[in-house]
Amino acid sequence: MNKDLDIYVLIKQVPDTRSKAGVNPDGTIDRAKAGKMLNPFDAFALQAGLNAKKMGGPNSRLFAVTMGPPPAIDILYQTLEHGADATCILSDRRLAASDTLATAYALCRTLEYLFKKNGRKADLIFCGLQTTDGDTAQVGPEISERLDFTQVTYCEDFSISDNLLHAKKIIEGGTQLVSAELPALVTIANSYTKLKFKSLRGAQFVQDVKRASKEEQAKYVEIIDLDKCEADEMRCGLNGSPTIVSKTWKIGVVGGNCKMHQGKAASELVSEVFKDAVMLKEFVKI
Amino acid sequence: MSNTKPRIEYDLVLVGASPSNLTLAHTILGLAEKNPEFKFSIAILEKAHDFGGHIVSGAVVHPSIFTKAFPDHIKDGMPIEAICKKSYVSLMAYHEKWDIPSILTRAAAADFVKEGYYILTLSNVVAWMAENLKAKAAQVSNVKLDLFPGFPAMEIIYEGDKVAGLRVDRTGNDEDDIVYSKLTCFGDKGFLSKDLIKKYDLETNPQIWSVGVKETWQLAEDSENIEGKVWHTLGYPTLDGTLGGGFIYGLKNRRVTIGLVISLDSSNPNIHPQKQLQEYKKHPWLQKMLKGAELMHYGAAVLPEGGYASLPKKFQVDGALILGDALGLLDVKALAGVDKAIESGYIAAKVAYEALKANDFSEAKLSKYQSSLMASPYMDKFKENRYFRKAFIENPELLRDYLPEVLSSIDQTKAPVLGGLKVGVQNPFKATKAFLRSASLLNNAKEIKEEVVYKPGYQHIDPNFNKVLMDRCHGGDDFAKTTVYSREDAVFYANTRYDEHPSHIDEFNSDTCLTCIKTYEAKSLDVPCVSDCTAEVHRLDISSGNIKVHAMSLENCVQCRTCELICPEQNLRVNPAYAGAGPDFKGL
Ligand SMILES: Cc1cc2nc3c(=O)[nH]c(=O)nc-3n(C[C@H](O)[C@H](O)[C@H](O)COP(=O)(O)OP(=O)(O)OC[C@H]3O[C@@H](n4cnc5c(N)ncnc54)[C@H](O)[C@@H]3O)c2cc1C
Ligand code: SF4
Ligand code: SF4
Repeated sequence: MNKDLDIYVLIKQVPDTRSKAGVNPDGTIDRAKAGKMLNPFDAFALQAGLNAKKMGGPNSRLFAVTMGPPPAIDILYQTLEHGADATCILSDRRLAASDTLATAYALCRTLEYLFKKNGRKADLIFCGLQTTDGDTAQVGPEISERLDFTQVTYCEDFSISDNLLHAKKIIEGGTQLVSAELPALVTIANSYTKLKFKSLRGAQFVQDVKRASKEEQAKYVEIIDLDKCEADEMRCGLNGSPTIVSKTWKIGVVGGNCKMHQGKAASELVSEVFKDAVMLKEFVKI
Repeated sequence: MSNTKPRIEYDLVLVGASPSNLTLAHTILGLAEKNPEFKFSIAILEKAHDFGGHIVSGAVVHPSIFTKAFPDHIKDGMPIEAICKKSYVSLMAYHEKWDIPSILTRAAAADFVKEGYYILTLSNVVAWMAENLKAKAAQVSNVKLDLFPGFPAMEIIYEGDKVAGLRVDRTGNDEDDIVYSKLTCFGDKGFLSKDLIKKYDLETNPQIWSVGVKETWQLAEDSENIEGKVWHTLGYPTLDGTLGGGFIYGLKNRRVTIGLVISLDSSNPNIHPQKQLQEYKKHPWLQKMLKGAELMHYGAAVLPEGGYASLPKKFQVDGALILGDALGLLDVKALAGVDKAIESGYIAAKVAYEALKANDFSEAKLSKYQSSLMASPYMDKFKENRYFRKAFIENPELLRDYLPEVLSSIDQTKAPVLGGLKVGVQNPFKATKAFLRSASLLNNAKEIKEEVVYKPGYQHIDPNFNKVLMDRCHGGDDFAKTTVYSREDAVFYANTRYDEHPSHIDEFNSDTCLTCIKTYEAKSLDVPCVSDCTAEVHRLDISSGNIKVHAMSLENCVQCRTCELICPEQNLRVNPAYAGAGPDFKGL
């Protein structure tokens, strides 16, 4: 039997890729208007956290942590439905426009605050590979550097024994098996097990929490700001972000001429495509 | 560890976020609000991922039931597609359509006069009911209301002879998987309540089911505006002697919903419901309507048609009530089930509230549900129309022989008169007898002497069915390809989504299928499950021994239960799927 593990999952709320709301005509996103969802990559990390909790001793704990505006509390409730024990959101206006460096810093402060509160450091931190809105895949690794945790990226399967994490990593052209000492930070690839549906008890529990008093709710969903986690505001938000986006522009017309052909028999679709696509006809001729 | 957890328990558990159950919950919250000292809890289990996601209906519904059960429905923004401005009953021949003059409709088909009725997209209304309920529950703090979309009830749990709860989850740990209840209300269209009816031997006559297939279309910008127009049609394409009819409802924003309802007590082993719907759209009148239109949604569901004769002996047992379609409250003569489903929920709420207060959930205490429901004015028509189904069962020649004659005269002369005369001249004695007899049945004769035996659909299926009759269900070849979809392509518009390997349909015995396949192969027919599936699920594979075997592509299933009802060997059971998997009918 493994020892009891304290496991943290870092998650983010992102614009819902399936919702059409909030998409400006120029292709940019109005975040306030857009539908929101748990970053799909983080769903794999959550499942990894849930599985790791089962691998640990009976008093293992799973914490979900996010940083974002208050509506992001929704995704924390989602993790509770799936079996997280407690969650925390760092929400502060001074965090607006944080780049990956500032985000990693702020999240580290949050984690350290939680380690203190929970009486010990994490054994394992799981992150999604990247987010669908930032796509950098940097925040996880930056946090592991700051916390001085072993870093395992692109993990698509793992087991735990004797304070060691045995992970199967995707590398270019193949897979790599590594064993790493805990504590470790692991970024989970989207070839890992899909997030299972929430449990009945989890769904019931969250509805109870939502009806409970503010104090009771805070036991499961703690809302903190920069002051609470003793973060230096000069290292957060715009102030703490050395990344400068000097200009953004469209690389040609991306998707401008894209026409979806769907919902018909394959033969019909093919002939539709051929009818439209002069280039394709030329290509096939060659 | 598990035995330290408390049981998952509610006072009231509702199976299905159906119109009936959501009305029940809404009404009982209203009662609880007036008595804040009295506390209780409700859980609603719904197999769809989101409320309304598994609801398929028409739906044209009289506003009065909403005024009664949801007096604030307008203020609270219930989505209404249109108010019916003009309704027609039409006979569909292959090429022509004859709208029965309204004076005749009023006399002969008064149930289909729908002017002033709401035209609804019921899936959207159900989603609204759920939202409305959440908002209301937040105001009524003495009631704990938990909603469980994505959690189907899989099995009824009994304690002694009493319904005690439901198996819902599948962790393998009873404490985590079973929801216990003092009173369980089934508004589940028979998915699970069929087991209850069987266990308590409640069946009087077997239920007669039909299947409804339906599509919603976005019409072209320059199309004729048909918002608020309602057509109910008889005839093409259901011309194999089976009872069936079409409906076309004009919705707002230039949309139209087009559907067919086909009875499953047909002798035809290959009804092909989805294909018949495509045939329907090949009619020149619909071709014109659908010029430049785009398909938005497709779906299917079954309807209980047996009516009064098929009502269970009791509507309640110890610890449980049965509501809506699960009880069989649909009046097929008027294609109206929503009003009675809502009424059943409204009445059940009062009975359940009394039972909760008395802490008595015995059948005796609950029996007021049955007596109050049967006394409801919403049941008057249902009772009156009780011989409608019988007329067609008893006089099969009406649809099989006479209707086609009448229709062919519509095609030739644009009026049904000659066809009617021809029927009378060719077979004066039989025709007159059948007409008189059916007329008396259709006109709700008080006395019915000969009893008509109801048989469940699958018992009607005849492998020797006349193929000439089958061929009648096909129209011409002059249609726009964009208006007609194959079954595999239609599934795309039902938005089915199954995460893992679905396994929600049980095939009990594969040898039974082998025999069945041989029987139908010998007659050059499809096996019924393959032909009549409304999505592309059942298929025949060639096994290694080069024999044909029954197989299923369950990821396409829209959970309509047609296959279960028509399998001649009763070799299938359609269960709800876990995790909210299945179609998404929102907007259909
Ligand atoms: C094509 C068609 C057209 C129709 N047109 C009209 C019309 O114009 N006017 C009219 O009045 N009526 C019409 N009806 C009939 C009407 O839709 C039904 O009578 C009515 O919807 C019945 O309501 P109900 O409350 O019984 O629940 P249903 O509508 O049957 O809903 C049942 C609900 O229970 C859920 N469920 C089932 N099993 C389980 C389970 N085990 N666990 C959890 N959830 C479960 C389902 O997902 C669904 O949400 C039509 C029906 C069809 C199919
Ligand atoms: S499931 Fe029923 S209809 Fe289908 S092959 Fe088997 S026995 Fe025949
Ligand atoms: S498999 Fe059965 S339940 Fe599923 S869509 Fe086909 S007929 Fe309906």
